[in-house]
Amino acid sequence: MSISVTPSIERSLPRAAIGGLTVAAILFIAFVVLPSVGSDYLFEAILTPFLALALAGVGLNLLTGYAGQVSLGSAAFMAVGAFAAYNFNLRVPELPFLVSIVLAGLTAAGIGLIFGLPSLRLRGFYLAVSTLAAQFFVQWALTKFGWFSNDNPSGIINAPPLKIASVTFDTAVGRYLFSLGIVTVLTFLAWRLTRAQTGRNFIAVRDNQTAARVIGVPVLRTKLLAFAVSSFIIGVAGVLWAFAYLRTVEPAGFNLDRSFQILFIIIIGGLASIRGAFLGAGFIVVFPLLLSRLGGELLGGIVDSGVVEMSQRIVIGALIILFLIAEPKGLAELGRRAARRLGGRPT
Amino acid sequence: MSSATTGALLPAGDLYPFEPAGVTRDPGRSRSGPAERGADVESAQPGAERDAVLAISGVSLRFGGVTALADIDLTVAPGEIRGVIGPNGAGKSSLLNIVSGLYRPSAGHVRIAGVDFTEVPTQRLAHLGVARTFQNLALFGGLTVLENVVMGLTSTIRSGPLGQVLGLPAARREDAANRAKAEAIVAFLHLSGVAHRPAGELSYGLQKRVELARALVARPRLLLLDEPMAGMTATEKQELAAFVREARDTYGTTIVLIEHDIGVVMGLCDRVAVLDYGRKIADGTPHDIAADPLVIDAYLGVAHDADETLEIEEAV
Amino acid sequence: MEDVQFFIEVLVGGLLSGVMYSLVAIGFVLIYKTSGVLNFAQGALLLFAALTFVSLHERGVPFWASIGLTLVLLAILGTLIERVVLRPLVNQPPITLFLATLGLSYVIEGGAQLLWGTQVHGLDLGIDDVPFEVGGVLISSFDLFAAATAALMVALITLFFRYTRIGLAFRAVADDPFAALAVGLRLTRIWAIVWTASGVVALVAGLLWGARLGVQFSLSLVVLKALPVLVLGGFDSIAGAIIGGLLVGATEKLAEVYIGPFLGGGIESWFAYVVALAFLLVRPSGLFGQKLVERV
Repeated sequence: MSISVTPSIERSLPRAAIGGLTVAAILFIAFVVLPSVGSDYLFEAILTPFLALALAGVGLNLLTGYAGQVSLGSAAFMAVGAFAAYNFNLRVPELPFLVSIVLAGLTAAGIGLIFGLPSLRLRGFYLAVSTLAAQFFVQWALTKFGWFSNDNPSGIINAPPLKIASVTFDTAVGRYLFSLGIVTVLTFLAWRLTRAQTGRNFIAVRDNQTAARVIGVPVLRTKLLAFAVSSFIIGVAGVLWAFAYLRTVEPAGFNLDRSFQILFIIIIGGLASIRGAFLGAGFIVVFPLLLSRLGGELLGGIVDSGVVEMSQRIVIGALIILFLIAEPKGLAELGRRAARRLGGRPT
Repeated sequence: MSSATTGALLPAGDLYPFEPAGVTRDPGRSRSGPAERGADVESAQPGAERDAVLAISGVSLRFGGVTALADIDLTVAPGEIRGVIGPNGAGKSSLLNIVSGLYRPSAGHVRIAGVDFTEVPTQRLAHLGVARTFQNLALFGGLTVLENVVMGLTSTIRSGPLGQVLGLPAARREDAANRAKAEAIVAFLHLSGVAHRPAGELSYGLQKRVELARALVARPRLLLLDEPMAGMTATEKQELAAFVREARDTYGTTIVLIEHDIGVVMGLCDRVAVLDYGRKIADGTPHDIAADPLVIDAYLGVAHDADETLEIEEAV
Repeated sequence: MEDVQFFIEVLVGGLLSGVMYSLVAIGFVLIYKTSGVLNFAQGALLLFAALTFVSLHERGVPFWASIGLTLVLLAILGTLIERVVLRPLVNQPPITLFLATLGLSYVIEGGAQLLWGTQVHGLDLGIDDVPFEVGGVLISSFDLFAAATAALMVALITLFFRYTRIGLAFRAVADDPFAALAVGLRLTRIWAIVWTASGVVALVAGLLWGARLGVQFSLSLVVLKALPVLVLGGFDSIAGAIIGGLLVGATEKLAEVYIGPFLGGGIESWFAYVVALAFLLVRPSGLFGQKLVERV
């Protein structure tokens, strides 16, 4: 077949404008509308954990979705971020809190770099299994060495107040807004990264490593960069999870199940999609609440919590399989298709 | 079964399970003997080899006990379209993989743009001015056509990740310039209509063309094409052949073309080398090659390739 | 002299517990060889098998009848998995299949506990765990029994694949699924059989581990013990699974005894992974794994 030299119809401009407007509208709702109408329950039980998990999803998506390196150790990097921020804040009190968070992210990035080293030689399953080393080692180290938790016997740390300059964010709405600000900034930077040459390098390494090498993509450096950037973002997500959502946290809270949860977020939401991380996180946070409320209403008090928990496990597992089979691109793609249908423009 | 379909079914490697005895080398071709290897290569080079964009001397490749390539010499002069043909398993792709550093030769060396290598550093290939396409599609399926082509300029990128993320002026200028270059090549290869489609969604023939665009965009001195027309229809083949010739004429690119379809090679190439069972059995102009009894033997000896011999005669 | 004896005792204990790891790892290898899938659900399968057996037995079903019924259920489960999960995902990248088995493990774990409850069941296989002495070295009789069972399993698997038609088909598929398909082997049936077979391995491993730890949710976590074994031995080698298991078992116990005190103990959660990783940096495809030549 032959393609004639018709100038491509430049549709990307209006589409970008629509995208920009949508994002602006969402930000307006998130920053202005919700804080004035939402309840504490909404902020504490839904929105704040949603933001932390979405940010972790963004981080993992850079590594797994874009750069194609499957990691089963996300929770370890969340833990590193949380405990690093705690210690920076505790031991260098003169540091502004935001600086502690950035340093915590950098610490997570450093640890991520170390555990990313095997990716230089390993691929696929071997790499996935090797990331479990991070999961178990970090959890062990944080529990074993009291220094990390300021010698708390169970390794528990309590959140310091969230402060920027002289403003303290100590209400439910405040913690939500604090998280929202950080998530917005980091998500924007992550989005920029995916659109730049570096992001294209990630995808090139994922799609065809040999071709990438021949073209001159620094494959090893790209992989390590993916690990570092991803761990930075996941580390900051860990800070939010620990300080803005839970307020008190122990290493066991960052276990393998949490790692899988982040992985499920990006599978359900959509691999290699920033939007997907948010959709997936929303789903993972809201869905269990819906399910237990539904179970409670349909069956009254007869079912015990164990049954609800097991049912959730089954449904989540089944959904993972379903998405992998029916819609590997996740909720993000479903959303795109729905939007296209609503827009009514045939493509 | 036609040879084109056979080529598509077999795996990409060019391995034969045994090395045939008694295959005679073409006696008439000039070649630097094995004795010169490791010696002062510079002074030992005949004039043609010193000017060559690519000079392969005494290259052998063995996997375990299997010899895929035996003592191959090949020179490519600036601006020529150099064909390498041979039946399946003759070692054509292995040769390209050695030139691009994906395989390490068991013996011999490769000279690219005046620099000698015993193992070509793949990571520096683009800096050396070499680009290649792959026998099996090797596009980045998750990127659009235009982005794939922009990736061809990776080796020229100077801005770092931070500059790109923050949108510093230098990074933005660079990105815009690269996009413009990519758009030009995309237009040159008549791909503008699909420029913003994900590469993975295109038809086979178009994907092959995108690979060509990605390889061409950096204006390589040397372009290695590994069966660029495999699996194409006759019309698509003619189109691509025209593009290859035009690329050479427009950009002065030197091209090494590995191809199964002998008709195309004979019509397109200035000089052709013939491999059989990992050995070079002939090397010369298409006219010489078509008349070479060893070549005719090699092709007639392989039953399914009989029709290709006819094509040789028709093409010349 | 006592030091040497103690060392040997730790080593033997480690090797014997390594056998238990091998037993879990073999289930992985069976599936990996035929379908190229790293089956994360193997641990869940193990939990399901052991829990089903125990629950049936506790409800008064005789021992062998419980075994038989459990096997029937495992066969049904294997066929279901092939039909519902594997078949729609055929030709997908291996990592997609791996993620699917991750989802599958959630389904099976949840299902097993929904069906049989979440309480801990004791399991008595009738083997006394009295240590006996050989040349001054104490050996656990239960460990020895487990090792003997594992050896028997391996022998049976080997015989099965060498001398039965299905075994031959299995090997053909493992060598080259496309060729096997081309000559008319029914891939789907073979997959169902292999998943059932690995279910059987899971049952044996589940019973032994269950007798050790009690049959409960945490049983499915033995999968985490088997993974470094697989990395060490190569995902596609039964011999690798055995030797990898022995290596992991031995180094883990020795490290716990000799290095552990310096690090505050509890290092067995990650030590095997570090050993496996260090090893991988030297040999990226494990001890016995096939080295894949990259084709371009």
